[in-house]
Amino acid sequence: MEIHRYEKIWLAGALLLIVGFIATVSYGAVGAGIEMINDEGGQVDSAALDEHPKFSEPGTYKTGPNEYDVYVIAKQFLYEPGTSEPIRVPANSRVTFHVTSADVIHGYEIVGTNANTMAVPGQVSTMTVEFNEPRKYGLLCNEYCGSAHHAMEGSIQVVPQSEWNETMVVN
Amino acid sequence: MPAESNTETGEVATPAGDGTGETGTPVPDTESIDDEGFVIGSGRSGVVRQLGHDDFDPVGTLVLIAIYMVIVGAMWIFMYFVEFLGGDLTVIG
Repeated sequence: MEIHRYEKIWLAGALLLIVGFIATVSYGAVGAGIEMINDEGGQVDSAALDEHPKFSEPGTYKTGPNEYDVYVIAKQFLYEPGTSEPIRVPANSRVTFHVTSADVIHGYEIVGTNANTMAVPGQVSTMTVEFNEPRKYGLLCNEYCGSAHHAMEGSIQVVPQSEWNETMVVN
Repeated sequence: MPAESNTETGEVATPAGDGTGETGTPVPDTESIDDEGFVIGSGRSGVVRQLGHDDFDPVGTLVLIAIYMVIVGAMWIFMYFVEFLGGDLTVIG
């Protein structure tokens, strides 16, 4: 088959583009350390979260120097904690969120950032991020979860290290 | 009218009609070859132009595709390296 020389050029360009896409995503995973959220968080009984050692009292738990776990329950149409009171974490800390749902599928997105996961009933989604500067982040649900989905939001308060105290550990 | 053409001005030259020369190949209406501005569809159907495979030279298409490639490449670099990798709170574990 005879292929026109211009066609060879744009075939090569299209292949280069595909190889480039795969190469940059590979670089993101290997070089830049971007992690995918998987099923490592394990499973829970969504009907018995009040019997869970952590989800029965969701909030921030200190796990090491500048390392914290935050347990969050998403339910129609709020985050616990997060909606009625902000999730509090200290600045310059490494925080692992453990997010699950008590009813239907929700989203858990820290607005304007790459931190974003689904909240699935029976499944714990875990994601680790690093908070640097003290500031406030918004939270929102990005999976349609019911009639008040649009109102499901919350916030994360990154507290300066100097103002952080242990009473903020469990909200 | 050149002597080699036996097609009268205004007639449509067709291989089956008067446009057939002595060799049996279609002879274009030489007066109309350089005509410009005729109505689309009214061109003389007998005007046959043989193009070799690589004589077809759509350089405008090539330039258009090159521009698309540059736009797609630049948008990819911007979206991935600036917006995504440069974004706040990247999931690291």
